[in-house]
Amino acid sequence: MLTPVVLGVLAVVLAGPLPALLARWTRLRRTPAAAMLLWQSTALAAVLAALGAGVALATDRLWQPPVAPVDIAVAALAGWVTLVVAARLLLSGHLTGTTLRRTRRAHRERVDLLARTDGGVSVLEHELPVAYCVPGMSGSRIVVSSPTLVALTSLELAAVVEHERSHLRARHDLVLEAFTVLHRAFPRFVASAAARDEVEVLVEVLADRAAVRRADRRALLSALLALAGAPAPAGSLGAAASALAARIEVLRDTGSHRLQAAMVAALAAAILALPTALVVVPWLAGLEPR
Amino acid sequence: MGELEQAVLECLWDLDATGGAESRGASGREVHARLVGRDLAYTTVMTVLDRLVAKDVVVREREGRAFRYAPRLGRAAMTAELMREALDATGAERGQALVSFVGEASAEDLAALRRALAELA
Repeated sequence: MLTPVVLGVLAVVLAGPLPALLARWTRLRRTPAAAMLLWQSTALAAVLAALGAGVALATDRLWQPPVAPVDIAVAALAGWVTLVVAARLLLSGHLTGTTLRRTRRAHRERVDLLARTDGGVSVLEHELPVAYCVPGMSGSRIVVSSPTLVALTSLELAAVVEHERSHLRARHDLVLEAFTVLHRAFPRFVASAAARDEVEVLVEVLADRAAVRRADRRALLSALLALAGAPAPAGSLGAAASALAARIEVLRDTGSHRLQAAMVAALAAAILALPTALVVVPWLAGLEPR
Repeated sequence: MGELEQAVLECLWDLDATGGAESRGASGREVHARLVGRDLAYTTVMTVLDRLVAKDVVVREREGRAFRYAPRLGRAAMTAELMREALDATGAERGQALVSFVGEASAEDLAALRRALAELA
């Protein structure tokens, strides 16, 4: 009886209180790679614990003779809930994935028709300065508009391009996609929005770090200043604005924080490994025919 | 193929700009005739036009037994459409299809950026 309870409690903690806590621990962003690992392992462990709790409850009731009708009812209910959770994830994954891929492909096709290419970057003629990337398995693009080229020095442009390259190289789009899938599958009652927002910030922080390693900190900051748009009049404050503040904060921080990185990475590993070792392995052993 | 698609689309934009309101679009023959310098087969031009239709960049209308092709949007409008998609991606309803280098910034954010730059000077 212990296994499903432990897994259930674990799933609840990993899906709600822990992400909410992590999102508020802003110093975590100083070690963005380890932080990203922790967010991913927390999300994965939450899903596995939730699915595991249902399966464990069902087997718990059915594997111990005598099996009463109430055991069958509980097992059926647990199995059904588990199936619903799995189905929601799969459906959300499918819908999110196909929509993203279709949107990106359509965007890339039009960029290729309209833009000239300059040093591996697609340049669009428009009056607003922008810089962004179009991720994709079958061809990614870094897009800037012509005013961007005018507004930035070559050092600044190199920093921007390196930032975008890092997004594409590290496949940040897949990480964001995974957390979007989770949020669309479980939009309420769990901290999936907080998780997605924080991962969005971390992805930018990581790309900034990569840009600073290859280009120049000063150039990146002045490029941010040159390209940061004025806020839209209709109060659309939120993640985008606070994400920039977080990025500046991390860019100012030059310490290495090795200890924090090691501890956060260890915590990430523990969150995935400990439940498996302490709960799932004994449970699997208990299923062996005696 | 990409360069050819660009050339055909340019050609349709030119025809659209010079043709006037009553004759929107062009037939495959007209496009082929305009690209005569490139020595293309007529079927190649038709393939490219169909690809542009599939990309929803060109619209096709039946006229008698043939089709007329016209750009769905002018060059500037299509660029504006791309920009809107890129900028919307950083707004509230983020599909995360595209990620901008930096979105809109509050006055505090800009001040923080200037302070950070001053620290480095």
